[in-house]
Parts: sequence; C-alpha cells; structure tokens
Amino acid sequence: MKKKRRKTASNKVNNYQRKKERPGYYFILLSVVWVTIFVYVPLIMAVVRVFQDYNTGEFIGFENFDYVLKTPTFINSFKNVIVLSLIITTLMTVFSFGFASLINKVTNEKVAGITKALIYIPNLMSGVIIAIIFNLLINEGIGLFAAIRVANNKWPIKFTTDGIWPYISIIVPTLWVGIGYNTLIMLAGLLNVPKEYYEAAKLDGANSWHLFVHITLPNMKNYFILVISAQITGNLQMLEIPMWITGGGPLEKTMTPTLYLFNTFRDSGRSPNIAIAGALIIMIIIVTMNIISFRLIHSKKAEV
Amino acid sequence: MMNKHKFKKMFFKYSTYLAVALITLIILFPIIYIIPFAFKSKSEFSSLHDYTWLPKQWQWNNFKYVFQVNVNGGKFLNALISTTIVAVIGTILVVFVNMLAGYGFARYNFKGKKILFGFVLFTMFIPGITIMLTSIRLCNVLGLTNTIFVLFLPGVASGFNVFFFRQYFYAFPDNLEESAMIDGANAWQIFSRIYLPMSITPMVIVGVGSFMGHWNNYLWVTLTITKNEEYLTQVMQIIRSLSGSPASRHGNGIVIAGTLVSLIIPFLLYVIFQKRIVEGIALTGTK
Repeated sequence: MKKKRRKTASNKVNNYQRKKERPGYYFILLSVVWVTIFVYVPLIMAVVRVFQDYNTGEFIGFENFDYVLKTPTFINSFKNVIVLSLIITTLMTVFSFGFASLINKVTNEKVAGITKALIYIPNLMSGVIIAIIFNLLINEGIGLFAAIRVANNKWPIKFTTDGIWPYISIIVPTLWVGIGYNTLIMLAGLLNVPKEYYEAAKLDGANSWHLFVHITLPNMKNYFILVISAQITGNLQMLEIPMWITGGGPLEKTMTPTLYLFNTFRDSGRSPNIAIAGALIIMIIIVTMNIISFRLIHSKKAEV
Repeated sequence: MMNKHKFKKMFFKYSTYLAVALITLIILFPIIYIIPFAFKSKSEFSSLHDYTWLPKQWQWNNFKYVFQVNVNGGKFLNALISTTIVAVIGTILVVFVNMLAGYGFARYNFKGKKILFGFVLFTMFIPGITIMLTSIRLCNVLGLTNTIFVLFLPGVASGFNVFFFRQYFYAFPDNLEESAMIDGANAWQIFSRIYLPMSITPMVIVGVGSFMGHWNNYLWVTLTITKNEEYLTQVMQIIRSLSGSPASRHGNGIVIAGTLVSLIIPFLLYVIFQKRIVEGIALTGTK
C-alpha cells in the first residue's frame, strides 16, 4: 500500500503534499499528548480551582484574586522581585555583552576556546549547591569575608540581614550562575555581525562609539531582546536562591512572589487556591512580556 | 626600537588577554575556593581567628563519612545510582520526544500546524509555580507519586526543547531528502538515516541540559517523594540535608565533600561534551 502511494506522489504535486502531511502528525503526536497531560491538564485544574473556595468547593468568582491582591506580603514580594529583576537584568546584559566583546577580541583560538568552556561551568550548579558555595563566602560564622573582617579587627558583616547586603547576596549568585551562558549568547551575536560593515564604517571615519551604536547594536538587537526577555522571565520566578540564601528575609525584604507562593502551598493552614490565584497573575505577566518581546524580534525581521 | 603604533597595539592585545583571564578567574573563584574545605575537620570551622584557606590537617575521612549519611532511608551511593538512572531514562525520553516534534514541525506541512506549534511552544511561558500544586494532584491521581516515574515523566515534553530542535531542522536545505524519497525511503527512514546522524549537536545540548536538570532536581523530588523510599533518594536531597544540619557530627567539611562528589558526574559529562555545548549555545540565539 505504501508503495502505491509513493508512486502517485512522485507524479502529482497535490498528492505529494498530502502524502507529506500525514507523517508530520506522527512526529509531533507524542509531544502534543505529553504537554496536554502534564501541562495543560494541571493548568486547567488550576484555572478551575482559582474560582473555587478551597474548603467548600463552591464557585466564588474572583474572590481568590481579590484576596491575594490584598495580601501585603504578596504585593511587597512583587515590588521586591521587580527591583531585583531590573537590577539583575541590567547588570547581566551589560556584563555579558562587555565580556563577550572582550573575548571577541581574543585572536588566539585556543585561549578563546578555553575561556568559553570555563565560564560556562557555574551553569552546571544546582540551587542547593549555589547556596552552599556562597555560604562559605558570606556566612558570618565561617565565611571568607567575615574572616577578612575579623583579621582586620572589625565585626563581620551580616550579609543576609544588614542594610542592602541581603539584596547583594541574591544578586551576585544569580549573576554568577547565568553570566557564562549569556556571554556565549552575546558572543554568538557578535560573530553574526558581518565584519565588512565595520571595515566600511571605519573607512568613512567612524569612531568606536559610532560603530557600537550604528552597527553592533542594530545587528545584535535580537540577541539583546533574547537575553533581556529570558532574564526577566527567569528572574520574576526567582525561588531557590532567595529561599536558601536569605529565606526571603529580613522582614520579607527579599521575599519573591514565587517563594511566597511556594511557602503558602506548603503551609496547610492557608488556602492554596489563593496562592494559585497569585501564580496565575505571575503567569499572565510573563506571557504578556514574552508576547511583546516576540513581537519586537519579529518586527525587526520585517524591516530587514 | 618599537614604534608607537605597534606598542599601542601590543598593549591593547595584552590588556585584553589579561582582562579576560582576570574575569574568568573571578567567575571560577567560588568553585576553586570551596575545594579545600572538603578536607577540613569540624574544629577548623569553629573559629574565624586562625582562618586558613588550606586545611591544617587534611581530613580525607570526610569523603568516607559522606557515604554513611542516611536521608529518607537512602545513602549517598544509593542516591548517586538512583539519580543516574532517573537522569538517563529522563534524558533519553526528552531527546526522543522533543526531537521528533521539532523535526515534524520543521520538515512537514500539515493542517493545524501553526496552532499545534503554538500549543506546544506556549508551555515555555507557564511558570512551574502556576501548575505546581495541581501537577502534584494529577500525579497522585495517576498513581505516579512515590514511584520512580514521577521523577522523569512529567517533564519530558517542553516548548523550549521542541523549539530548539525545530530551529535546527529548519536550517537544512529542502532538497536533502528528495533523493532518498525517490529511492523509496519512508518518513521514518528519512528521519533516522538522513537527519538523525546530522543532529548530534542539538541532541547533546538538549541531552546534557536534561541530564543536569534531573541531577539538580530537588524541589520536585521533595514534593512528590513523600514516603521513605531508599531507592528513590536523589543526590540533591542528600546534599541539601547535609547543608541543612552542618553542625552534625562531622561539621561543614562533609557538606563540601558531598558537594564535590555530587559534581563529579556533571563535570565529566561537561568535559566530554564541552565543545559541542559551547558551540551549540550559539544555535539557541539564532532566531
């Protein structure tokens, strides 16, 4: 039977295309079934539950949303995570681009190769291990910085509670894990910019600032959007690093929405349906942001 | 005598190299820094006054003690084996399912393709926390909780990995399969004989990423493995439980020793595939 179809397919364009269609479904079938069961079913369950009262199962409209939006911890955690995301995303973008530009100037291929391999290593670390590593640096009882302070006859800094240190104690590890990966992405972007552009501009007397603004930036726009949107998406969901380094403290100053919701889920005393409402709000924000960044990337292609 | 221009050029070249080396060193510093701590005895963590980076006495026993710790009835060796099994099965499934889907979306035209692709891709933007609770409920209903399946089944298909494979298969020229079709190869043969051998790089990238994801898994494990099942204890549970109670008998040294042991397999994997991973990340950014 198969043979027959193939024969007609090679003769008629229409049949050829129709024949081509069917295996397409076979190839994608598993993934569609899988995400339906393990992503969309729980999502629909969540959407149903968010309109229900946890104890009675009664439909109560938007009350759960109303409640979570009036919970001070949740609102504060949002403010915290927005500030943290903005700082981390900005620093990550600047650092990864700057570092990529430096590596791009390294002409020795071996040196560049080794550098690229080494800087990716932090990416292999789990949240559990990141917390352990940074604890050995910032812990006031056993950490390196405390030891340095003590050696200079000063009190150790309480990194997880004093002043702005809790923020720094979250920002630095987050940057550390992601810097290698993002540098490699930026580097890919830099290599994608045609070298002739630079040469032509230099002949016209452009200085390095001009080159950056008029050649590098526009040609790397998609890479910047990619890094920035992935960063914001990821940082808005920050969970493990705040959980294990500051625990959301002091006084919920470094509490993030995801951490708050996670704690709520585990605390049997509070209604999980309210937390689901909060989690759906986060999802709406992330989806909206990503639609915007996809549009931005797309619009650029249309121009070119 | 060196002329001014040449000197300037040399200066820039070497200061670039120096800066790159310095930044790389700063990035690696935390990892290098913790290594000697795996060999410190408990007493060396008690005071900051005679703080030294290298241990005064090398306590190799820390590595022995690590293997005696018991979490949820499982010991470290159990956890290393169990996590490896979970990660290997999970990785094979992840590569298989997502690669097929990426191939289907890239190389075939069919009705509803756009909608189905959007359907799969959209899962990328659904935060884990949003479906966490109901996923656990679902796994309960399906009877997966407290079995090995809950550790790898739910995460198999992902929008990002399908997208990643699709980008890769998209780049092949159209006429690649034509000669094979004329030869009478069927769809599966075209995929497995022509495309599969050329797709080692994306397979390695998604595969290593998936392996690391399973290896580093902690939260999902603690949420879905609630009974003491010694053969289901995962590596990060051991590490986390060590670091949660460092004041225990052997002190902080054992936490770092455990950490280092847990990094051996990921590290070997990275060393083996490093070149493909680093090159392949460029692919992530291409569209």
